[in-house]
Amino acid sequence: MQNIKQDAILSIKNVSKNFPGVKALDQVSIEVERGTVHGIVGENGAGKSTLMKILSGVHPKDSGTIIFDGELVENTTPILSMKSGLSIIYQELNLVSTMTVGENIFLGRFGELGGMQHVHEKAKGLLESIGSHVTTYKLVSELSVSEKQMVEIAKALSFDSKLIIMDEPSSSLTADEMKALVKIIHHLKAQGISIIYISHKLDEIFEFCSVVTIMRDGHIIDTKPINAITRSEMITKMVGRTIENEYPKRPNCVGETLMEVQSINTKKLHDIAFKLHRGEILGLVGLVGAGRTEIVRAIFGADRIKGHKIIMEGKLIKIRKPSDAKKAGIALVTEDRKTQGLVLPFSVENNISMAILDKISKYGFLNKSMETEIAERHVKSLDIKTPSIKTTVQNLSGGNQQKCILGRWLEINPSVLILDEPTRGIDVGAKYEIYLLMKQIVENGGAIILISSELPEVLNMSNRVLTVCEGRITGEFDPKDSTPDQIMSKAFASERKE
Amino acid sequence: MTSKYEFKKIFESIFKEYLILGAIAVLVLVTSVVQPAFLSVGNLSNVIRQFGPLIMVALGMTFVIIGGFIDLSVAGIISLVAVVTVHFIDIAGQGPALLIGLGIGLACGILNSALLLTSGALTQAEALFITYGMSLVYGALALIISGGSTKHIFWSENNTNLFEIIGSGSVGFFSTSFLIFLICLMVLYLLQNYTYAGRVMRLTGGNKTAAELCGININRSIIFIYAISGLMSAIGSIVLISRVTTASPVIGTGYETNAILAVVVGGTTLSGGKGSVMRTVLGTMLVILLSNCMNLLGVSVYLQYVLKGAILVIAIWMDNRKQS
Repeated sequence: MQNIKQDAILSIKNVSKNFPGVKALDQVSIEVERGTVHGIVGENGAGKSTLMKILSGVHPKDSGTIIFDGELVENTTPILSMKSGLSIIYQELNLVSTMTVGENIFLGRFGELGGMQHVHEKAKGLLESIGSHVTTYKLVSELSVSEKQMVEIAKALSFDSKLIIMDEPSSSLTADEMKALVKIIHHLKAQGISIIYISHKLDEIFEFCSVVTIMRDGHIIDTKPINAITRSEMITKMVGRTIENEYPKRPNCVGETLMEVQSINTKKLHDIAFKLHRGEILGLVGLVGAGRTEIVRAIFGADRIKGHKIIMEGKLIKIRKPSDAKKAGIALVTEDRKTQGLVLPFSVENNISMAILDKISKYGFLNKSMETEIAERHVKSLDIKTPSIKTTVQNLSGGNQQKCILGRWLEINPSVLILDEPTRGIDVGAKYEIYLLMKQIVENGGAIILISSELPEVLNMSNRVLTVCEGRITGEFDPKDSTPDQIMSKAFASERKE
Repeated sequence: MTSKYEFKKIFESIFKEYLILGAIAVLVLVTSVVQPAFLSVGNLSNVIRQFGPLIMVALGMTFVIIGGFIDLSVAGIISLVAVVTVHFIDIAGQGPALLIGLGIGLACGILNSALLLTSGALTQAEALFITYGMSLVYGALALIISGGSTKHIFWSENNTNLFEIIGSGSVGFFSTSFLIFLICLMVLYLLQNYTYAGRVMRLTGGNKTAAELCGININRSIIFIYAISGLMSAIGSIVLISRVTTASPVIGTGYETNAILAVVVGGTTLSGGKGSVMRTVLGTMLVILLSNCMNLLGVSVYLQYVLKGAILVIAIWMDNRKQS
């Protein structure tokens, strides 16, 4: 049927896009060959998402041409592009959680298929073709993240997609789920479907992409076959400067006990107890849903719990709500910065000042000049890239948004800083800056609890690692002399009950 | 390229800021040409008088909407405050009756927030239904207390009459009700822009979860928001009964929709976090002028409802376009 096998499925030529004040894409050209997995890497704000949004028809392009499957694409919309065989699986999956799997796959097309019976039958066939055995009558809200991703892929296949774009598909997958995704990608490739794979995780790019395109600041820096580029070259091209190491030297300044946590018991957590020392970075490792976030939320007073004890510098303290934790010098940088951290429509300045509003108020009146001063100080010291402190925080890149939240909490001078996935979705350059900042904090006598799904990050930054599994602490390791396998086996170990 | 976009952005923001002023100007111009009676002293003072009660309610509503909520109970509160205040004039005298009226409004607002907090209803939709329910309750109480009849305010000629001063008195150049408006506006403007409480109310509408995780007491903020709305409705109610010198148990009908209309047309976002009392002043002017002009031009009352509804929809549509 397809006699021209080796031509380009997608050819983007000199596409530019301007947003008010920002040149998001500048003369971008990419060719994606049929049946290949084409990786796109770049720091946040490099223009990857903008490019994908133009391809899917969310944003119109300012200039340039796009040829998809031999046809010139003009004035497309998300629906049209899907029907033409171009599907995008976004980082935050777009499924209707209150509908079933089958209904989601064929959403809006029940009539064409001639009734729900056929919908579920076809959906089942599609899911089985990618090796998923989820029942199509299950509600999407009951699925795990990876199962949802399967449903999205099945949906893309239902449109006879020729090109599937995956935007950071692995950011919330566990190691096992990732393996399943890799299998599917190989499977799709075998069927002749092309894939554009966007990721921050370079390991994945090297594992299954055949070509990689590196973007920076709205430009294409380079496109190379994967075996013609090394990891460090790739990083250098992404950040535009050489990064010697991905991690700074591990801080080594652990002192006496600073905080002791005893007997946190909730529905999900069982007998959580540990000590945190001055100058220490304590890593919490576990699967998504193991209870890591719940542990730190309990300490911070974000979830109401009873019966636990928190001893700070030898004194028992009561934390019932976040403001108590704040008073005790505990800060929490939450995992989801957009929904739990930032007030998106507000300015950088207003976001930074949020935790110290009470301190900069006198007789109920805000001291605005002090607020400005504080914001300016953090923008400078953390090198937050923003046109001004009055800029809406929504317009900043992920790394800079995260720095705003860090600045917010540094202002209270926390003795215990809890970081829940502090580098998720953040580019290599900003990551390194955050690691340096962590180092600086512990060297100044603070302590950090670090939660991260990226094992290398925990292993390279922590002084001590605790594994969390099914709401229990299952092991304690010194990352210097333990292997990832040893640690992960404890994180996976499930309680055997007779 | 960049400067071109900067320019476009500035132009757009000016256009958006002053669009409403332009609308008001066009409205005044067209009406005064078609119907010269519009500019008569009688009509203009009528416009200013109508402005009084609605602006008070709308100013309070601004805080509720910026906080990410909505308050439909203002109609009930206005009726209840009106009936109770007039009821107490005979029993306790004018001063105490006025204070009781204000107290009732405040209490109703706090009760609303208490119901929202205890039922855990923290979305705008839930607030809509709960405050609608409370509006029915307050309205029914007004009917029960008044026995369903409209009551006149009587005052003796030889005493100083508080309500007469509010309703038709003047201080220097300004009418008393206008002065009350200026004072309220000033206080609320300061509250909104320069105080801790004002910022926290904005943050409540911006992102409740994030604010709470910063150690900010969101519950207190919600109580404060509804207390302001209740109190401002009570002030609006007192300005209204002082002017019309009667208190009907259904006197507040329609104020909730008009107040929301004024706030949204002024440019405060329904999704919360953004907006200002100053915008609401302009929004209220537009709403009042619009109905006055349509009356003068002989537009049927039914058609006026259609237009008001259309304007509300357009205002929300424009706001959403602005955000995306």
